[in-house]
Amino acid sequence: MSPEMVSQLSVGGSTLVLLGGLMMLWRRGVAAHIGAFTFQSVALAATMAMVGWFAGDWQLWAVAALLLLVKGIGIPLLLKRMERRFGSERELEPYVNTATSLLIGGLLVLLAYIVTAPLVSVSRLPTRTGMPLAIGLVFVSLFIIISRKKALTQVLGFLMLENGIALLAVLGTHGIPIIVEIGVFLDVALGFIVMQVFVYQIHETFESIDVEQLNRLRE
Amino acid sequence: MTVTSAPFLALLLPPLVAALLALVLPPRRFLAGVAHAALALVSLGAALGLIHLVLDGETPTWGPTDLFRVDALSALLALCVAFVTALAALLGPGPGRDQHYTPAQIRRFRVFASLFAFTMLVAVTANNVGVMWIAIEATTIVSAVIVPLTVSKASVEASWKYILIGSVGIALAFVGTVLGYFDFVTLVGPRESALNWTVLLANARVLHPPVIELAFVFILIGYGTKAGLAPMHTWLPDAHSEAPSALSAMMSGVLLAVALYAIIRWKAVVASVVGPVFPNRLLIGLGLLSLAIAALSLVIQRQYKRLLAYSSIEHTGLMCMGLALGPLGVFASMLHLVNHTVAKSMMFFLSGRILDRYGTPEIGSVSGLLRVMPWTGGLFAAGMLALLGLPPFGMFLSEFTLLRAGFADGLGGLMAVVLVFLAVAFVSLLGHLNRMLYGAAPAEMRVGEGSRWDVLPLAGCVAALIVLGIAVPAPMTALLHRIVEIAGR
Repeated sequence: MSPEMVSQLSVGGSTLVLLGGLMMLWRRGVAAHIGAFTFQSVALAATMAMVGWFAGDWQLWAVAALLLLVKGIGIPLLLKRMERRFGSERELEPYVNTATSLLIGGLLVLLAYIVTAPLVSVSRLPTRTGMPLAIGLVFVSLFIIISRKKALTQVLGFLMLENGIALLAVLGTHGIPIIVEIGVFLDVALGFIVMQVFVYQIHETFESIDVEQLNRLRE
Repeated sequence: MTVTSAPFLALLLPPLVAALLALVLPPRRFLAGVAHAALALVSLGAALGLIHLVLDGETPTWGPTDLFRVDALSALLALCVAFVTALAALLGPGPGRDQHYTPAQIRRFRVFASLFAFTMLVAVTANNVGVMWIAIEATTIVSAVIVPLTVSKASVEASWKYILIGSVGIALAFVGTVLGYFDFVTLVGPRESALNWTVLLANARVLHPPVIELAFVFILIGYGTKAGLAPMHTWLPDAHSEAPSALSAMMSGVLLAVALYAIIRWKAVVASVVGPVFPNRLLIGLGLLSLAIAALSLVIQRQYKRLLAYSSIEHTGLMCMGLALGPLGVFASMLHLVNHTVAKSMMFFLSGRILDRYGTPEIGSVSGLLRVMPWTGGLFAAGMLALLGLPPFGMFLSEFTLLRAGFADGLGGLMAVVLVFLAVAFVSLLGHLNRMLYGAAPAEMRVGEGSRWDVLPLAGCVAALIVLGIAVPAPMTALLHRIVEIAGR
């Protein structure tokens, strides 16, 4: 693969990953949100495998396979189980409406290009062209978390934030040391499981997963 | 450099063994409690041993590519973590206490509190910034599990805010870590040890300032969220007040310090890349904001555990500012950290005793504390005076030194503002304390101390605070001077 092609593939792959995040903003159903996350994780694994092929690094292939297994299959399965329980709780009235959300999402990606200018200018890797999109996904995920009301949507926002960071790491550095990578995976998986337990707990205690009712502790 | 595994194993293994034992032993057995406490004391002994090694001029390392490394800063933090863990093992949920926890709850608490201690100890002894990040992220997960030990609407709400805000914050710290690694790899090439402090510091001069500045902003927001720095502090008063008291003690007493530790490590790297002005400005800004918000929030609090939580934000803010005030400021900040660890963990244990007896978290419903529980009330008063920075307690000395460092740095105006906020905190805390100590005890309140042996270690904490206030022990001073060499650049 020529560097130009890798550069274009990086932008293409990153765009698909970012698109997964933006889909969260215009779709409202729980199933659509889970679909967006699954799509994003598969796109991320593919991008990672592509970089691994280019860099000739078998460790990246292993990480991509692990990612596909955990975030492309495992977590979506658990999410589907949650959907059966909370599927009726759609994001009907987020704090920010769809049109404004998409506008803000666009502005956040633009901001990401400005913030990452120094990164892109110092790197010599052909994959660096996708880095602004990765930071863009980080910003969009943060926006999802603060502008949506259902606990499940917030969990998805958090998972997407992690995807954004993984994308940033693979594009900018062609993979962080494997021991750190595995630890991060463990943390994400454990964190997700605990969050999932809490979502069930919120539902049991408050009879809905709308976080707007979590307003007792205030003064 | 010595390569020895013994002190590391003695420090890190006991909490893991304790978690396993708690899982299999019946929690109501006396022996289970003894084993739990004994293991925590082994860890504490190991931390003291590490301090001894460090004072002898050694820097113990362990593991492939020096995965673990203990210098003076790590040793001090390890001591703080092991100290509070031991207190929590001695005084935490168990049989024979006023608190009524079911065996299942006692087991859950012991398992996860031990894992919590383990993750914090790994965080402060890891040489690799990636491993440190993994450990700090794990602290959120394992501690969040036991925040709602007793399920109620308030505790579920608090745990949700804690895990969501904590995880998101720490994820941002990882963005910063990746950016730091990115810059290193871009310049030096990929290397397994590139995420080690020692390697990052050694190569600091060639790193790109704009990239590292961006990385530090992410790191400060990320770890700052865990440290409870404003404006990312919103989860803290909820989680610290709704958690079981022994967990509150661990979270307020040392978790905040562990997060601050991560900031100190990165600050040293950033300061050698771009100079001290940039990180110092950010640290002073966030520290002052935390101090201001905490001081003003203290005035309107109605619950005593929330009062203590806001006081933690106040003191973390002070420590954060101290880090930016030159070598003397770093010295004061670290001394303050030790004082705060002792004072705040003690106060949360005492507030747990008060909560058990009065059955209410409201300040307004607690009165006549000195008459109802003379020892608990007396120690609570002493602890509060210590937190206010009054002599003869240690915080008087550390706050005074911190202010002196600020004036010496030519930041007199800023220090005046700090004094104003300290005065606000002083007046409001004293008012709240008065309301609790005196007055008539509620009718039919049982008088006298319950589980009276528990008072002993807490009285020991007050004694330690007085010692730290009259004359800082020579080994502690030596340790702090070494920390200044590491972090005071």
